[in-house]
Amino acid sequence: MVEIVFLTPFITGIIAFFLPKAIGRSFLVGTGAIHLCLSLLLWKNRPEAFFKNYFAVTPEGLLSLLVISLLFFLISIYTISYLKESEIKSENIFTGSMLLFLSTMTMVTLSDHIMVMWIAIEATTLASAPLIFTYRTPAALEATWKYVLICSVGIAMALLGSVFITLAMDIGNVDAPLSFSALTEVAKEINPTWLKAGFVFILVGYGTKMGLAPMHTWLPDAHSEAPSPASALLSGVLLNCAYLGIFKTNKIMHAAGLGDFSGTILIVFGLMSILAAATFILKQNEYKRMLAYSSIENMGIIAFGTGIGGIGVYGAVICMIHHSLIKSSLFLSSGNILLGYGDRFIRNTGDMVRRMPKTFIAFFGGFAGISGFPPFGIFIGEMFIIVGAFRAGHYVAASIFILSLCVIFAGFANQAMKISFDDYKKGDPDKASHFKERASMVWPQFILLLTSLILCFYMPDTLYQTIIDAVTAIGGGLK
Amino acid sequence: MILNPVDTILSLVLLSVLFAFGASRIPGLIKVIAFQGIVVSIVPFFIGHEMALGGTVFTIATLIIRGIIIPMSIYIAIKKVAIKREVEPIVGFHASLLFGLGLIVAATYISRELNIPSVSDFTLLFPTAIALLVTGMFLLIARRNAIAMVIGYIMMENGIYLIGTTISVRARHIVEFGILLDILAGVMIMAIILQNIKQTFDDVDTANLRTLKE
Repeated sequence: MVEIVFLTPFITGIIAFFLPKAIGRSFLVGTGAIHLCLSLLLWKNRPEAFFKNYFAVTPEGLLSLLVISLLFFLISIYTISYLKESEIKSENIFTGSMLLFLSTMTMVTLSDHIMVMWIAIEATTLASAPLIFTYRTPAALEATWKYVLICSVGIAMALLGSVFITLAMDIGNVDAPLSFSALTEVAKEINPTWLKAGFVFILVGYGTKMGLAPMHTWLPDAHSEAPSPASALLSGVLLNCAYLGIFKTNKIMHAAGLGDFSGTILIVFGLMSILAAATFILKQNEYKRMLAYSSIENMGIIAFGTGIGGIGVYGAVICMIHHSLIKSSLFLSSGNILLGYGDRFIRNTGDMVRRMPKTFIAFFGGFAGISGFPPFGIFIGEMFIIVGAFRAGHYVAASIFILSLCVIFAGFANQAMKISFDDYKKGDPDKASHFKERASMVWPQFILLLTSLILCFYMPDTLYQTIIDAVTAIGGGLK
Repeated sequence: MILNPVDTILSLVLLSVLFAFGASRIPGLIKVIAFQGIVVSIVPFFIGHEMALGGTVFTIATLIIRGIIIPMSIYIAIKKVAIKREVEPIVGFHASLLFGLGLIVAATYISRELNIPSVSDFTLLFPTAIALLVTGMFLLIARRNAIAMVIGYIMMENGIYLIGTTISVRARHIVEFGILLDILAGVMIMAIILQNIKQTFDDVDTANLRTLKE
């Protein structure tokens, strides 16, 4: 029964709303552990769903699911200590929403029906809005409002896209269930014009949620206002879930022989996102917003790679996995920085290397990983994408891509250096930081980074095979 | 050309779209979306697709939510928590009206080009749907008042609903899920109310929601 995987966190989430603090926290970790076990079982057995028309275990879904499970488990361990350190008023709402958020995202990865996918993605918006509003400040309210408004418009666009796909089926006289797998089989008979229209609207709709420019404006606010564990979830897995919606629709496009069309659009949106990130990251003065712009950049890279096709798609999936691992570790570290300095501006931090050595290692390692330094996976992913772009003859696009990556690296490096090595001007330098780096607040980051490192040198065969299975459907592969 | 009942009421919706472009105060806009919500949800009854029991229930639910509950809750919201009634345009009313007229012409032209077989009997269906969609987006972009933005969003939903319910039975099953979008609209209205309870000053100018930059 595939459905258990998302029903478990759903039920525990609802219970968590009514639980006192201490039990709620252990609930979070417990559900995380159970979820991880269930996902691993799913990997091993790959069973059929109970509602076959609506849910299915697909390779791309499995990849995202494993990332979600692993991240949530580690983040939940971090969250316990984070909740002890920070003052969050109604903690039961926070834990409950985290669990519901996990449940809805799991549902996205397992859904095979266009409308179930749509409902699940809408539900992620609903479940994550309270997380962004956790601190209840006017700025948090503004971020939540912006998030809900912009994402709702996106979701509405995706609904329109789904309507167009059914219209394409009607005009082509196709009678099939509205599931991604069934549509991929009959894709050739679907009316291409309306299928294209449907894809564009779905791309814009889910692209809003994924943080593709120019629909990305909610993302920096939401990520900077949410508590750090929630930001880690938002950035590490929510964006992937939205990408999954685009990925599956793209599968139909490729089966219908319209891969070039969807590829071109993805390349354009991808480049726009990378350029937008490069423009704005240079003058960010808050570290969490800087990380958020880096997420926009990485989503752009993933969209770009998917659009390139061939070896680029493989690179995009590699980037997706490693971005989740590294970026969530960075957001967790940013939570430590926030607790240690009590300030979200870069200018009010500094000298992290001596004040918080362990966090420094996690943060700097994450910085190296996310900007594409060799021992980490993003480097390999980006290499594949660049090679793929040159092979496919997208010389101009590839040059813009490389140039923007350099600019983003420069901007990011500048800020990371300031946080780590600048003198700490604001406070009393003799006074030791009151913030103690508990093991549970640094080890999750270390494990995430280590996983990323290990995956570069050794990738289990099942994992490799699953990635290959996922990317061949949209014209990718290691050839 | 003889107008059938669907086209007759849809022409009224097109007029209400123009009114929305020129409306300067929130109460007027609330009436517009209530009217559009009701019309849009009863149109499927006249189209002639067969309607199962489930479909009828959904349609009536949509009618109640879009036509009554949401407009009423916005109305109560602006009454209870003294919200500014002006829509605070970014684009002026004359320019908006001109845009609206151009939009209706363009929508009519485009729908003729698209030539969708299942709705060819109803001349105004597709133009109205497109007009609703774009008007909603326009209000989202060109009005600074948060309530006006929510109203724009609901208008957009109405447009999608009109397209979906009419082009085919299968599409109607899809847009019935659009009812879930109203939950999001509800969350937005709640956010506005919260915002106003928090603020000592009494307007929902989204310029106040703009301290976060970029």
